[in-house]
Amino acid sequence: MYKYLLCWRYLRTRYIALASVISVMLGVATMIVVNSVMAGFSEKMRDRLHGVLADVVVESYSLNGFYDSDEVIARVMDVAGGQVDAVAPTMETPGILHYRFSDGQVITRPVQIIGVNPAERAKTGDFAEFLFNQKGELIKPSFEVSDKIKDKTPAGSLLRSLGEDSGGEIDAKMEQMIRAELEEQKSEQAPTRGVILGYALATHHPGKDQPDIYIAPEGTKVGLLFPRAGQKRSEGAFDTFTVVGFFKSGMSEYDSTHVYVPLDRLQDQRLLRDVHGRGAVTQIQIKVKPGVQLDTMAEKIQVALDDLRPAFFRVYTWEQKQGPLLGAVAIEQSILNILLFFIIAVAGFGILAIFSMIVVEKTRDIGVMKALGASTSGVRDIFLGYGLLLGAVGSGVGMLGGLLFVRYINEIERALSVVMRRKVFDDSIYYFDQIPTLIEPFTVCWIVFGALVISVGASIWPALRAARLHPVKALRYE
Amino acid sequence: MSEHLAARGVSKSYWKGKNEVPVLRGVDLEVEHGELVAIVGASGSGKSTLLHILGLLDAADAGQVFLDGSRIDDSGERARDRFRNRSFGFIFQFYHLLPELTALENVLMPLFIPHGVWSYLGRRRAYERQAAELLERVGLGRRMTHRPAELSGGEMQRAAIARALAGQPEVLLADEPTGNLDAKSGEGVLSLLRDLNRERGLTMILVTHDMQIAQQADRVVRLAEGRIEEWSAALA
Repeated sequence: MYKYLLCWRYLRTRYIALASVISVMLGVATMIVVNSVMAGFSEKMRDRLHGVLADVVVESYSLNGFYDSDEVIARVMDVAGGQVDAVAPTMETPGILHYRFSDGQVITRPVQIIGVNPAERAKTGDFAEFLFNQKGELIKPSFEVSDKIKDKTPAGSLLRSLGEDSGGEIDAKMEQMIRAELEEQKSEQAPTRGVILGYALATHHPGKDQPDIYIAPEGTKVGLLFPRAGQKRSEGAFDTFTVVGFFKSGMSEYDSTHVYVPLDRLQDQRLLRDVHGRGAVTQIQIKVKPGVQLDTMAEKIQVALDDLRPAFFRVYTWEQKQGPLLGAVAIEQSILNILLFFIIAVAGFGILAIFSMIVVEKTRDIGVMKALGASTSGVRDIFLGYGLLLGAVGSGVGMLGGLLFVRYINEIERALSVVMRRKVFDDSIYYFDQIPTLIEPFTVCWIVFGALVISVGASIWPALRAARLHPVKALRYE
Repeated sequence: MSEHLAARGVSKSYWKGKNEVPVLRGVDLEVEHGELVAIVGASGSGKSTLLHILGLLDAADAGQVFLDGSRIDDSGERARDRFRNRSFGFIFQFYHLLPELTALENVLMPLFIPHGVWSYLGRRRAYERQAAELLERVGLGRRMTHRPAELSGGEMQRAAIARALAGQPEVLLADEPTGNLDAKSGEGVLSLLRDLNRERGLTMILVTHDMQIAQQADRVVRLAEGRIEEWSAALA
């Protein structure tokens, strides 16, 4: 009983010990803030990565892909049918994007061309959530070129100015010919095949706090150059498309390279259609039901497909495909954690120093307690308990402070930006409009637990010293 | 009257560097039930050391200590802690109250020590009443919630006496209880001790260097050169 009473009284009367409470508090708060922000970043990044890739991807080594996608899908369904939500065959090929800016300059960029059936692809991931029009509104996953775009072309506007009926000013036959000619020109100026461009491919970022300028706005005619299927020699193919929307995932790597085109058209242009009319694909995106173990499923599919055609397919989970990037983030986080934990360790040494002082100060009291019958272990427990209490108060307040900081981090960032007169968190670098945070209860528990262990650990030595004091020497201490 | 507390052939030396300084050289002392014995001697004569050995706060190099005829100085650490808590009550020259606790909590200390939280809380009311009565008895009924820093020297020593009595000990061991008090407070404390000795039949050993105080005891023992030199009959 006396141990708890004395611990509590020491906590309330020894203000010097509060210095060590503050260092524990700051350490815990810093670790919670840093971990939450890093977890927020990596969660957001994972979200975006996962949005671009389906859960499991079957890919062929060959750029020419495979024609028997139906059979491959059937195999996948055989081994994992119950766990699969949706599948979407796609074709990926490197290529070159080519378009003319309004001032006449020609812009050429290396890109990754991806042929998809947009509705199917949207079912296998967050694809549809990343498609926007020029005003920044979400659009349907489709390559359809709207009449509005067609009418805006020079031929289209001429056609419109011609009106419904010329009113007999020109000969009806002549009018029909002109209309037909203009229609033809219109579809040449705005090909009926739509393309969705990566946002960074289509825009220019003039600088901080200024809106992006569209250098390839909706309706722009773009050309794509890509390899045709070839056994001995690859040849290039060229096709034109009309920009109908933009792909903005927030991952600059994708937004600056991805170009989505209709799968059928790409298969035709790459000459990848066999005698049965089947088009080749290079990838099959598979979305699985929630809660399914992706790694084991990918392994199962790999075995099944190796059975079908050995060493032809590679099966990845989305995490494996992005392994190095996710791995780098994980390493960063663990190194940062080790470094930050030293802060709490420093607080531990603070506790050790302050406790040693308090033990010296309390020497006579310890003698009195022993004279009154307190045991060695009882005296030891007073100081261990005191350390635990300091750690609990420090980490409790630190946890609360850290969580509040995380909750209001964007407000704090804005206030800091005003004070420092420069943006602390530049959204043009990170692509996020707000600092992403994610509080993981497990991590918070570990940090608090670690701080408690360090606090108690640091009080062991002073507590043992107090417990071993000889009562008579302690009573005579001056 | 029968023997209550006894020391037989108790020796104790201190080491100053490499030199052995003998303090007690075979002391024999017997104290009877309800007896008030004063130990006098010059400073450094070993009075306090003898008191500490009798109260199991210190260990003798040689010799034995008996309580009610049983040897107690060779018992284990837990048993010694228990003897100090239950059988002996200590009073010190500098009171040694714990500064963080109120007068009442200081008196409760010996009652806190053997109990855990739950076992104490079950007895809390009875213990608090007991401690409050003791504080009333020593004249501190209105000072219960005061901290030691808010009490005078005499009041602190009275609180310390109440604390020594809280565990209902059989023997009170007082080391210069008036040594740090002015004459009036000292007289008050002394008469309190004497009254307690009579009322409760407490056995008391009083260490002092003041012969006037010693003369109020039933018996005076003089320590010199590490031995008990002189016995004197009751001078009351």
